[in-house]
Amino acid sequence: MSEQELRDELKAPAEPLLPIEKKLIGWSLGIGVALLVLLVIVNHFLPVS
Amino acid sequence: MTEITLSPAASASRRLGEDGVSVIVGVGVLILALVSLVGPDLLGWVVTTSVWTDPAKALGALSKTYADLGGIGALAATYVALLAVLSAGAAALGANVGKFAIAFTVVFVIAYASWFVGSWAYLATVTPADQAKFGVSWSLRLTNEGGFIVALIVGLIIANFFPRFADWLKEAIRPELYIKIAIVLLGAFIAVTAASKLNLASSLLLRGVAAIVEAYLIYWAVVYFIARKWFGFSREWAAPLASGVSICGVAASIATGGAIRARPQVPVLVSSLVVIFAVVEVLILPFLAQAFLSDHPLVAAAWIGLAVKTDGAAVAAGGITESLVLAKAAAAGVNYAPGWLLAVTATVKVFIDIFIGVWAFILAYIWTNHINVKPDGEKAKASEIWERFPKFVLGFVATFVVGLILALGGAGPKLAPAVGEANTFRVIFFILTFFSIGVLSDFRKLWREGFGKLAAVYLVSLFGFVIWVGLIISWLFFAGIKPPLAG
Repeated sequence: MSEQELRDELKAPAEPLLPIEKKLIGWSLGIGVALLVLLVIVNHFLPVS
Repeated sequence: MTEITLSPAASASRRLGEDGVSVIVGVGVLILALVSLVGPDLLGWVVTTSVWTDPAKALGALSKTYADLGGIGALAATYVALLAVLSAGAAALGANVGKFAIAFTVVFVIAYASWFVGSWAYLATVTPADQAKFGVSWSLRLTNEGGFIVALIVGLIIANFFPRFADWLKEAIRPELYIKIAIVLLGAFIAVTAASKLNLASSLLLRGVAAIVEAYLIYWAVVYFIARKWFGFSREWAAPLASGVSICGVAASIATGGAIRARPQVPVLVSSLVVIFAVVEVLILPFLAQAFLSDHPLVAAAWIGLAVKTDGAAVAAGGITESLVLAKAAAAGVNYAPGWLLAVTATVKVFIDIFIGVWAFILAYIWTNHINVKPDGEKAKASEIWERFPKFVLGFVATFVVGLILALGGAGPKLAPAVGEANTFRVIFFILTFFSIGVLSDFRKLWREGFGKLAAVYLVSLFGFVIWVGLIISWLFFAGIKPPLAG
């Protein structure tokens, strides 16, 4: 990929987020935060020996 | 910008090859080291460097059995052995062995010379007692692992001021291979360290799970959103970029590029950016960890594992962080046992690595079924999970299990020195990794037109989000836990 091609490509108009991308982002964050909360609770009840 | 010809398929195959070579070399070195448990000491000739003021006394063989070799003899033996083994590895990877051997000779000389300089007492001594012992009135207090930083800086100078020389060295500039061998060797060292406090080790392992959740589910989603929404990147650029910033750099962005069927150049360009920023992190974060987190050593170790991208840079930065944090604690009169911080950083990184294949499969499924749907297009296959699994992790697990069985099975007082020999080779592979990362980091790329926008996403995500969230998560899970005291 030449420098010119890269420059042109990165200046191209933005593609809007598709519903599936919004779902991917939303579900990832939702599951991630929920799992972290769960792990914090487990961490609390299983202190380091 | 030069043409990039590396395809994800070729790259994946090379990665697989490097994984295989790293497992064979790492496990082979450990087996030879363990022979000393029941027979002769086969690796005691490996060179080691002490902190020095008189350079003639700095080098020596690790084992007294080989003391007659002297420093230069041990260095020569180590060089010849590494040259032979790695040339065979290069041949297995399809490299030009002649070119590799010549380039490796130069790489070894420069990298080990950097390590040697880093052990100079004016750079390495930390405590006033050490300074008095060596008769030096001041020191930069970089510890004896400051040689890693020296090797990195020398590599950076070559990459940015002597690009033709850097290009000439490229056959032997293989940071991924060197760090994978080091990680395989690290498995046994961590096992022997963990066996002394098995309850603490298992507790730390449990906390390492949080890293997987954070990297894949939190970091990736946020960085992808930033790249798409704020910076207007296409999906083809945003996904490898998100994986590069969030997961483990080069391997993750290449795996993601393959998964979403991106053009080969995209993950390769992202990977070059990952290496550059990893260098910046290695030069900054361990010193920040020493300054602000030395009262919470394991928070510092986990943070480095979460914040520094690419396996090489992260695990190597873990080594420097351990050295700096332990040195500061020692200066305050607290002597922690070595190995625990490095173990936490490596565990966090390996845990994250394990799921690259699963994540690539999820992305491949979404892209081929919902985003780039083609009537006769190739669909995601579950076999991709195994294809993209980083196989060197199996070597790490194998050496860890062998080390743990021997340590818990009462292998006796010879085990620690035997694993120590393998660990000395691990340090040498770290040095080669640092130097190689430096040689690959051409900062002039950042000023090339078109690259700035990519760098901006990386900068905003890494320094505006990733390192801070990594710090919070590390704090939540590792605050208040101290490594055992030495002795």
